[in-house]
Amino acid sequence: MLSYVVKRLLVTLAVVVVISIVAFSLVHLAGDPAVAMAGENATQQDVDNIRKVYGFDRPFTEQYFSWVGRVLHGDFGRSYYLRTPVQPILAEYAPVTVRLGLMALAFTLLLSIPLGVLAALRPNTLIDRFSLWLAVAGQALPSFVFAMLLIFIFAVTLRWLPVSGGSTWWHFVLPAIALGYNATPALMRLTRSGMIETLQSDHVRTARAYGLARWRVVLRHALRHAIIPVVSLAAVQLGYMLGGSIVIETVFSLKGLGYLAWQSIQRSDIEVVQAILLVIAVVYAMLTLLADLVNAMLDPRIRIS
Amino acid sequence: MSGRRFLLGVAAAATLVSAGGTALAGKADDTLVWATATEMNTPDIYYGNQREALIVTYAMCDSLVHRDPLTNEYKPLLATSWSWTGDHTLDVKLRKGVKFHNGKEMTAEDVAYTFNTLAPESSGMAFRALVDWIKNVEVVSPYEVVFHATRPAPAALEYLTGTSPIFPKGHYDSAPSVPTADGKTRRDYGAVLPMCTGPYKLQEYKPGQSLTLVKNDQYWEGSPKGKPHIGKIVLRTIPDVDTQVSELMTGGIDWMWGVPPENAKLLAEQDSLTVKSAATMRMSFLSLDASGRSGDNPMKDVRVRRAVFYAIDREALVKNLIGPGSVVQKSMCSMNQFGCTDKVPDYPYDPAKAKALLAEAGYPNGFDMTFYAYRDRQYTEAVANYLRAVGIRTNIQFMQWGALRPIVVGGKAQMAHLTLGSNGMLDASASTSYYFKFTGDDYARDPQVRDWLETADTSTDPEKRKEFYAKALSRIQDQAYFVPLYTYGRTYAFNKDLDYPLTPDEMAHFYLARWK
Repeated sequence: MLSYVVKRLLVTLAVVVVISIVAFSLVHLAGDPAVAMAGENATQQDVDNIRKVYGFDRPFTEQYFSWVGRVLHGDFGRSYYLRTPVQPILAEYAPVTVRLGLMALAFTLLLSIPLGVLAALRPNTLIDRFSLWLAVAGQALPSFVFAMLLIFIFAVTLRWLPVSGGSTWWHFVLPAIALGYNATPALMRLTRSGMIETLQSDHVRTARAYGLARWRVVLRHALRHAIIPVVSLAAVQLGYMLGGSIVIETVFSLKGLGYLAWQSIQRSDIEVVQAILLVIAVVYAMLTLLADLVNAMLDPRIRIS
Repeated sequence: MSGRRFLLGVAAAATLVSAGGTALAGKADDTLVWATATEMNTPDIYYGNQREALIVTYAMCDSLVHRDPLTNEYKPLLATSWSWTGDHTLDVKLRKGVKFHNGKEMTAEDVAYTFNTLAPESSGMAFRALVDWIKNVEVVSPYEVVFHATRPAPAALEYLTGTSPIFPKGHYDSAPSVPTADGKTRRDYGAVLPMCTGPYKLQEYKPGQSLTLVKNDQYWEGSPKGKPHIGKIVLRTIPDVDTQVSELMTGGIDWMWGVPPENAKLLAEQDSLTVKSAATMRMSFLSLDASGRSGDNPMKDVRVRRAVFYAIDREALVKNLIGPGSVVQKSMCSMNQFGCTDKVPDYPYDPAKAKALLAEAGYPNGFDMTFYAYRDRQYTEAVANYLRAVGIRTNIQFMQWGALRPIVVGGKAQMAHLTLGSNGMLDASASTSYYFKFTGDDYARDPQVRDWLETADTSTDPEKRKEFYAKALSRIQDQAYFVPLYTYGRTYAFNKDLDYPLTPDEMAHFYLARWK
């Protein structure tokens, strides 16, 4: 087991190192940071001066090792653009994205599971057709169009909810709906097909034969089985939501991680982009490692192979 | 739950939700909330060159000289008088009794400190033209300084206006040490929040998100800026323009600019809003590789360059596409800049003449060319359509400014669609001289033009300056080195309760605003 753990750790370390090199290179390839920092009307002299002052004129490897050295000491540097240390920036922007993602997930689960169950219980009826229509609309409508529609109805016309910003929970309601709606169709269709299949299974038929209440059969016996793949898909959808929230964060002016990454790439704020990429890479690598180790503990065949 | 009770519950919830979304903006709260799509990188204008930073600087800082935004007249601000005592020495007398926001009185030491700190290249200042004329500033007495210039600097007064705020001595002492990419460290002066003497005080700054100013009740009497009226001014960054429009319609913000033409009509119909358009200093033009920096190409022939000029209907572009506030640009400068003139050779829209010139130059069937651009793709495409109509078939390479910039200064662009805002400088040295003095942006490389501009940039005789700018501009136009197209307009929309003066300098002077 020990040699397996050491091997996995070394592989994880190698992955992180490769990702750090790729992240560092990509950001440098994306554009000259000195040009971006100098602004549109700067002279070449201004750009050259910034390049020198910031050390961008140094060889690439020298810049990389200097950065790695600082990161290993827990210092992600300072944002060239926002002029504050990177760690507090990440600490401020990340919770916005996490809150938005979780609220969107809650919304999509609350909408998709009941609709999926109802559609399965009443196949080819009005409710089934309605849920199908909802699914098609959800997949066809781009999220930013849906977001603007929500703003027009609930913020501008009815004035029930705020248009933009993130100072209260209310500010997250419309963005969460806009983000979650996109994920609803897949979850709902999966719930429906899972339920139809489970409702025809032997154990449900047996439960019915025992004379259990209908709601009890549906919720406790059928849904419990049908929901397992839905949970897996929901986890994947959460990942998509966290990654794909850039548009929604921009429309609702929510200052989240996706928005920060996009803005930072545009303005060549390399310290921030590198930090975001590295943090995400490390989190994914660690989760993969953890999953491998848990699997190995549960199944000895894995560590032996 | 009865139906009635359910409805009551829904109504209560709606009220709660609605209360949660109420933004503090408007006359009732004495808070002017304005929004812009651009995030400031610092409110210190010396280290950030966005308009947003300049707007904030005008509100919270004073400079030595004030340029009246409505008349463009220079007025004493922190300086009471100034005079050139030689080609290289500017004597400035300072106002007594003006206090910084921390209560300390402003003296000559502060003025000398500000410029002596920023003038050296090592200061890492963003827009060096503002200070590179300064060798050093000498304190003569507590209320008098002498600027020693590196060269005759006739545009110095322009540089000493709002773009050059005065900070207290020792202001940058708290600048953090930041590691550079080569393992050394530098001082990040731009990370220090401005401390000034202006009509508003900085209350809070959340990088990338918002900035709050509060009225400085102790602001000095007799300032040409006047006493501030509105209690609080809040800047919010809202990247999406449609979201800004929605916020404005619901009273979440009081002021926005850059309203797209398709939204301007909708907003103008709202009873609660005022919509107005004004000219800006940002000009749009084509840069043509006349000197062949990118290799042998058709643009080396003056007939081809003139054909490009004749091919484009600039009047139609302004009228039908660019929108309110925009005008046809006649020469390579902004008409409100000192030294600018539109009395230069003109090329009215004449596609037949353009085709004839191309045929004369040996291109009866036209030619293909790469056309670089970075801003407002639809405008570039309109220009490309005009060019295609006479036979110049372009392959548009549209990219981010950061990617285009090295191509332009690296001498690789045969034709590029560029814009320049001159950093708000009302002097032709910030526009014409920017492009024609053999810098990386200069594709004309005309020694005659360069020498004339050098004379104009360094002469202290205003008439001589005007004469030499006019000569240079005339030759630039005659040789069709650049093709000036149009100036940008800006449409502003704001709360009807707001008495807000629209100025032609593409600025927001919120210290002049008041509630009706």
